[in-house]
Amino acid sequence: MASAEAKQKLDALLDELAKAHKLPRLSKAAQDVDRIIELLTEARENIAGAMDPHTTSLTMTKLQNPVKTAFDKAMDGLKAASSSHKKIGRALDKNFPVKELPPDDDEVAKRVPLINRAIAMHLLREGQFSVASTFIDEVQTKHPRRASSRSVDRMDEDDDDDNDAHRSPLANGAHDGENGDYGYEDDYDDYDQDMDQDEDEYDLSSLHSQELQDRFAEMYRILQQLKAHNLLPAIDWARANSAELEARGSNLEFELSKLQYVWLFLGPAVNGLPDDEHNGLSGALAYARRHFDRFQDRHLREIQQLASAMLFAPNLAGSPYHATFTLTNAFTDVAASFTREFCSLLGLSAESPLYLAVTAGALALPRQIKYMQATRAKGTEWTTKQELPFETPLPESMLFHSIFVCPVSKEQTTEDNPPMVIPCGHMLARETLQKLCKGNRFKCPYCPSEGQMKDARRVIL
Amino acid sequence: MADLEASKIHHENHLLLDQSCLRLPYELLRKNFRPVHQSFEITAKHVKEELLKSANGSLNGAASPQDVVKELDQMLVKMRGLKRKLAVAVDEEDRLYRQLDARVAHLRELSAMNTIDDVKYEAWSRQRLDRLLIDYMLRHGYDASATALADERGMRDLVDVDTFVVMSRIRKSLEAGSVQEALHWCNENKKELRKMESNLEFMLRCQQYIEMMRTASPAKMLDAINHAKKYIIPFQDTYPVEVSTMAGLLAYGPDTNIEPYKSLYSESRWHKLADTFVDAHLKLLNLPMTPLLHIALSTGLSALKTPACHGPNNNTHGARSKQQQQQQPPSANTTPTQTTQPQPQSQQQQQAPPPPPPTYESQPHQHHHGTASLTTRVCPICSTELNALARRVRYAHHSKSRLLEHDLVLLPNGRVYGRARLEEYAAKSGLQPGKVKDLVTGEVFEWEGVRKVFVT
Repeated sequence: MASAEAKQKLDALLDELAKAHKLPRLSKAAQDVDRIIELLTEARENIAGAMDPHTTSLTMTKLQNPVKTAFDKAMDGLKAASSSHKKIGRALDKNFPVKELPPDDDEVAKRVPLINRAIAMHLLREGQFSVASTFIDEVQTKHPRRASSRSVDRMDEDDDDDNDAHRSPLANGAHDGENGDYGYEDDYDDYDQDMDQDEDEYDLSSLHSQELQDRFAEMYRILQQLKAHNLLPAIDWARANSAELEARGSNLEFELSKLQYVWLFLGPAVNGLPDDEHNGLSGALAYARRHFDRFQDRHLREIQQLASAMLFAPNLAGSPYHATFTLTNAFTDVAASFTREFCSLLGLSAESPLYLAVTAGALALPRQIKYMQATRAKGTEWTTKQELPFETPLPESMLFHSIFVCPVSKEQTTEDNPPMVIPCGHMLARETLQKLCKGNRFKCPYCPSEGQMKDARRVIL
Repeated sequence: MADLEASKIHHENHLLLDQSCLRLPYELLRKNFRPVHQSFEITAKHVKEELLKSANGSLNGAASPQDVVKELDQMLVKMRGLKRKLAVAVDEEDRLYRQLDARVAHLRELSAMNTIDDVKYEAWSRQRLDRLLIDYMLRHGYDASATALADERGMRDLVDVDTFVVMSRIRKSLEAGSVQEALHWCNENKKELRKMESNLEFMLRCQQYIEMMRTASPAKMLDAINHAKKYIIPFQDTYPVEVSTMAGLLAYGPDTNIEPYKSLYSESRWHKLADTFVDAHLKLLNLPMTPLLHIALSTGLSALKTPACHGPNNNTHGARSKQQQQQQPPSANTTPTQTTQPQPQSQQQQQAPPPPPPTYESQPHQHHHGTASLTTRVCPICSTELNALARRVRYAHHSKSRLLEHDLVLLPNGRVYGRARLEEYAAKSGLQPGKVKDLVTGEVFEWEGVRKVFVT
């Protein structure tokens, strides 16, 4: 298969490049240059010491050949270093030839302030608070007039103005007095009402970021503790939010408590906590008595298992509970669920949107390039304004909305052409239904039943 | 099936964004080598000749031992100069090889994976995101942020901070109205620039000339003419029109309204120069012209976007953020009584108020796509971070329906959900048997009024 071959190529390239650090380098030539300096210095000392013509001419004559040889050697060293470089270049050309990337997308390039905002939020949600604040400061103070990308500059001369307009809210700063705001209004003239509203919200959303920052700071405090194997802050948080968590169908609180039990159970040798009655088997038992009550109903079986494990404590590894008490990924797993739930309660996607978008971009990019090459070859362009002209299949994990494609027209339903359900329960796009109609009636394309337009209902997926 | 295919890593295509990651160290190795090679050749030739001359001089008595010592000292000066240059180049080369090793190791991690469901993929892809972010920051001149992020992540060897810092220094000097650094750079890369047919040096020379003319002082204008003779006229054959325009400029002062002279005096020319420089710099190193993040984002946003993400029912943003501010703090402790007193679940279920999807229920019109749901996740395009950015990009093309749930049923209000999820939610909400509750609007219906729908 083609992809297997590609993998081989990549591996071949990586193997080749991995060997590169053994290839001759410039340092070899540097040694020879040192040698020449040594020779010259020696000769100079010699001559300066004697200061007589005979020694001088003798030394100088004797100096010629060694210096020449050293220069030749140095030259060889340089050549070897250069051929190392060329070797790398050839390996790259052969196994990793440069492929053209699509040109900058104006829709994205024009929106540098929005990208900046997305990056700032990404850094915050990743817990990179100091980088985030450096970034926000830098964006604000530098007023970088332009990006290195052409389109940004060419699109509108007042690019820096609309930077201001967006930027100030980002970091909660005051609007600049310059003509910033006007420039950007013009810029977004074509935006619909909806967008205008959005812009009005900017000042609020700046507060929102501030609020977010505090929230994420809390999240990271808890995560830090989790990393240090201290479950208590996370358990406190989960308990404080248990109603919402349960509503989401999450059993995070129980998972955390269970892990706490296991953690205590394993005792001082593993958890490094003080060896007293709050630790080890007795500590675990006490913990279970105090906290497991509330989970009885939903997790009875698991609680029973956890309790039974007590009997096997001397030989846990050989017991059926072995798996429950293995901590390999327990803390990272529970940290991941915690992050997911925490973000969901904030109404934010659990994964960083920027991360998802970039990963999706890497997956979809080959299609875009293929399309680019195909349309260029044909000299045609498919101009659908709103929909991509090619498919970009993404894995299930990157699907967030149900997509309904009308089985007849093969079109994706939209606000203007919404999905409709007809009396027999089949779903079609509205435009399809209108075309199927003879008079006021239609026959379902998928079953023998008939219906009337008035019986068809718009559905929300 | 389709999903397996979609999550497979196609190695030949998966690294489209990572081409310069391996290429740049190679380009820099070459760039590092060239000047050293050149000065070695010059110095070697010179020293060998001098050495021979001195030897002959000492033999035929034309040079005294003192003369020879002096000559040797001069040779040593040259050699030590060469040694210094070489030492810098050696360090740089070591650094580049180290970078190459680190990058090979980074890409090898990917090569070991076959699908993006591999547990290690996420870590790898996150690192790629960091690389793209750093690339973006560097290209936009946010050097401190880029450096901070690279250091924080310990990935200096995977990104090209130094290269871009040099670029942004020169760009900034141009934007501040100084050509010196850019000219120096032109001089360093003379050969390559000529090969690329870059007009950068010509543009810079013209700008110097324009600046002298701008002063409108006779002495300076005389300098300008001399400058033009030396640096602009030689370009006569390559840029005949521009050269004659420059000559014409002599007749027009800085306050002229006549084109093209008026725009020659324009301050915006400095920005154009900065652009030209950045272009030349990127081209010289075979780097992509646009930030890779732009490319990844524009494709990725489209691939993820659905018509629903900016639909009229989805006025999440702005509205939502406001709402959240007001609601978040209370939402964290709306039900303190319940949570502080542990009680058997069965009891709780009966008396528990319908556990609200935290932020949305009180404003049911908010978002009909899953955010409030039991298990679905918030869509990245709907999330505040990217929503406005994605507004104008095209949405993904699908030729087949892709449903998040199966066994779909229609509620009397026109909303469609998976049966299992409705049942679960009804049980959790403690509804009476035979009732069902809308996951988003909170309306309660009879199961009898619920109909099955078929997606073909």
